Formats: sequence, structure tokens, C-alpha cells
Amino acid sequence: MIEPLKVLIVEDEALLAMELESLVEEAGHSVVGWATSSAEAKAMVDSTEADIAFVDIHLTDGPTGVDVAEYIGEKKNSMVVFMTANPKRIPDHFAGAIGVIAKPYTMNGLICALRYLQEGVRRPPPKSVLPAGFTLSPAFETVWAPVP
Amino acid sequence: MIITDPRQPDNPIVFVNDAFLRLSGYERQEVLGKNCRFLQGPKTDKATVDQLREAIAEKVDVSVDILNYRKDGSTFWNALYISPVSNDRGELLFFFASQLDVSDRKRSEHRITADKDRFEKAVKERTRELEAALEAQTTLLHEVDHRVKNNLQMISSLIVMQSRTIKDAATRKSLATMLERIEALSTVHRRLYQSKDVSRFDVADFARDLVTDLLTASGRSEIKSTLDLEPIVISAEKATPVALMVNELVTNALKHAFKEKPDGTTAGRIGIKMSQPDGHFNIEVSDDGVGMADASGDASFGMRLIKSLARQLHADIEWRDAGPGTKVVISMPNEPQQKGNVS
Ligand SMILES: Nc1ncnc2c1ncn2[C@@H]1O[C@H](COP(=O)(O)OP(=O)(O)OP(=O)(O)O)[C@@H](O)[C@H]1O
Ligand SMILES: [Mg+2]
Repeated sequence: MIEPLKVLIVEDEALLAMELESLVEEAGHSVVGWATSSAEAKAMVDSTEADIAFVDIHLTDGPTGVDVAEYIGEKKNSMVVFMTANPKRIPDHFAGAIGVIAKPYTMNGLICALRYLQEGVRRPPPKSVLPAGFTLSPAFETVWAPVP
Repeated sequence: MIITDPRQPDNPIVFVNDAFLRLSGYERQEVLGKNCRFLQGPKTDKATVDQLREAIAEKVDVSVDILNYRKDGSTFWNALYISPVSNDRGELLFFFASQLDVSDRKRSEHRITADKDRFEKAVKERTRELEAALEAQTTLLHEVDHRVKNNLQMISSLIVMQSRTIKDAATRKSLATMLERIEALSTVHRRLYQSKDVSRFDVADFARDLVTDLLTASGRSEIKSTLDLEPIVISAEKATPVALMVNELVTNALKHAFKEKPDGTTAGRIGIKMSQPDGHFNIEVSDDGVGMADASGDASFGMRLIKSLARQLHADIEWRDAGPGTKVVISMPNEPQQKGNVS
């Protein structure tokens, strides 16, 4: 049994955050916080310990998700996965994030992504196949999914 | 016409005809003995004058359009031709210069250049406007696309949350089927607009996502899939009905085809084949399950949905007994579209 993940949710849509929280917990992980703006997210990054942060690009204070990812990247205390309906907004270097789960994802897609991330964080590289709708950043692609 | 004598100092005029006097407005005595430069003025092009000077120095002929001044100060465009005249021994005797007033031609040339500049400016201006409009449209499209995707995500979330609160198994099952259908739409939208050409949809990539997702979601690892997918591009408006149809057929196979066999196993194989023989787009969804001999009529919702979508797509659809199992064959017209030209 691999140790479960502690997850931080940075998402401005309450409905999506609620559902994401349920799915994360059903999969055996825990949610350590939910932030809706970049300021809230940064404060939470400072005060909590998370393994993974799911970060939407568009938050209540604008397209500040990349900013949040960079902040987390400097702190180096958790890994970032973008979760957005607008993957084109993500810079080429992904601000250090693992990758992106494109919205709309399917429930199964998200469950698979959680398993994949659990393996990737606890026992890298992940054994499961990359789930549909999940795109790795170039940096993580070379480590987690090297072309054989 | 003018003749000058280069053997005298400063190459003076030694002969003028009446036509030149009429053109320039001078009297004969005023010009004889003078160098031709009195015809030039402030607006005369220096480079043209240099060109003349050079030709005279090198004793070769030259032809230029030059702006000259009359005695009264008015200007005219002079098509000037100068040629050296030598004797038998090759000694330079004279320069012969002929003049022609081409002010009219110059004027129309100027007008044409001005018109051309004006047109070019107008075209540039219009291009800028169109580019700005396109930019605005693209931003709007992205905005709407973003909202559609978010809303689809919210619809799925609502269904899942609702279904968590429901005890009745049949109701939950029906919500699960609804979620599958909405997620098929979600998978279309996730894939839509991924290429720059928003009107084209790569149906093979979509099918791979959909089938993998349905199979893993079913949790039935004993059921394998065989995907034989040509890269096929269809127009975006066909994407949704095609996606829904494939979703119905694959979920049907998953739900109905693989009953427990006498040996207690439920293993099986689902196959999807997509091809585009000339001008057509063909889809085959097959399974090696129980077949449809026992299927009850066609009053059920899934079947009606499949048939209506087929009508919308002008597709022929046929259920074949594949012994064992079922093979559903769909064929629809599809204008040939090269994958890869999605720029
Ligand atoms: N691949 C298949 N193999 C065996 N039986 C099938 C297959 N596809 C369809 N059937 C039969 O055809 C019937 C009608 O299918 P249909 O999709 O209309 O309804 P359904 O799947 O039972 O419910 P829903 O309306 O939610 O789709 C099914 O109940 C099943 O008996
Ligand atoms: Mg059905």
C-alpha cells in the first residue's frame, strides 16, 4: 500500500472544488485546503503541508494560477498539477509543474490521474499509463515517461 | 535642340533652335555662349545632374528626365537626350542635346505613384482592422470555449454529487449512464480546438481517449480492446454526434455483450475500427460476446439515440451477427480531409 497524498485545491469554482474534494477523499487521499484566489493560495502554501497542489489557471483574482505555481515552486514543499479548461495559457516551461489535467476531465480520468500521481510522487516514476486528458510538462516527460 | 562646344571653356551653347527658345522662354542672345546649367533650379534632382555631368566627362550619350526652369521661373519636365559628336579622327567636336517637354507624362506618373501609395495605405489599414477583428474573435472563441468546458465539468460534478446521495440502485445506474453520455461530450470538447483549425476534429485520437476511459471506468480488466484507427479528420459539427454514437455502441457492448460464460468467465474483446475509403468515413464497433439474438425490440432509449444520430449524420448503420458477438457497421459520407493540414 502506497502512502496516500495530501492535496491542496486551488480552484475558484466551488462546485468543482467540492466534487474534486470528494473524489480525492474517496480515493483514500486527504485534502489539506481549498483556496479560490492567488493570495489565499499563497497563504495556504505557507501554512500547510501538501504533496500535490491542483491549481486552476483562472482564479477569482484573474489568470493568476501560473503565479501560484511559481510561488509553490520557490517554496519547494509540494508539486503542482494544473487543472484548467485553458491549457494554452500555461507557459512552455510549465512553471515547474508536473503537467496539466485538461478540463473537462472524466471522473475515471481523474481517478486514474490520482493513482498516477500517487505513484509518481511516492515511487517515481509512475507505473500506470498516463491517463487520457493528462499532459506531462516537458521536464517531467523526460523523467516519468522517457521515450524508450 | 541645343549644340554645345566642349572645346571652349565651360562647354558653352553654340547653337539653339526656335523650338528650344519656345520651350524655355529665352531669347537666342540670352543663351548663346552660356553653359546649360542655367536651366536647373532648386528642385532639380542633384543625382540626375551628376549623371549628366558624368556622361559628358566620359563623352558618352545619356538620356534622363530632368526638372528644368523656364525664364519666367516655371518648371517643366524635360526628357533630355545628349550625345557626343566626334570627327573621323575620334576628336570630340560637339555635344548634341534634344529636349522634349514631358510634364504631362510626369504628372500622370506622379498620380499613379500617389494612387498606389494611397491604395497600399488603405490595404494596410484594412488588414490591420481585419487582424484586430480576428484577434477579438479568437479571444471570444477562447472565452466561450473556456466556459463550455467549465460548464460541462460542472454538469458532471452535479450528477456525481447527486448520485452519491441516492440509495436506489436503479436510479444510480441511470445517473451513471447519463454521466457517461455527458462525459462523451466532455471528451469531445477537451479535444476540440486543440489544433489551431477550430473547424476540424481528429476522431481517431478522440476514440482512443473514449474507449480507454470507458474500459478502465468499467473496472473490467478482463475485457480487452483492439483499436484499428486511421488518422481521420472530420468537421467539428460532426464530432458530437459521432462521439455520442460511438459512446452508445461501446457502452452497449460493455453492458450487454459479456454475460458470464458457462466456464464462469466474462472475458471478451471489443474492437473499434475507423477507416476512410474514398469519400466515406466508416466506423466498426465489434464485440465477441453473446450477440443480439435475444435483444428486445428497438423501443429502448439507447437504440433510438443511435438511430437518430445516424440520421443526423446521413449515416448507414447496420447490426451484423458476428458469430460470436455483434458487429455494428456505420458508414457516412465525409469530404476527404488530409490530417496534418490542420495548421
Ligand atoms: N453489443 C451488444 N451485445 C448484446 N446485446 C446488445 C448489444 N447492444 C445492444 N444489445 C441489446 O440491445 C438492447 C437495447 O440497447 P439500448 O442501448 O437501446 O438499451 P440499453 O443499453 O439497455 O439502455 P440505454 O437506453 O440506457 O442505452 C439492450 O438491452 C441489449 O439487450
Ligand atoms: Mg445502451
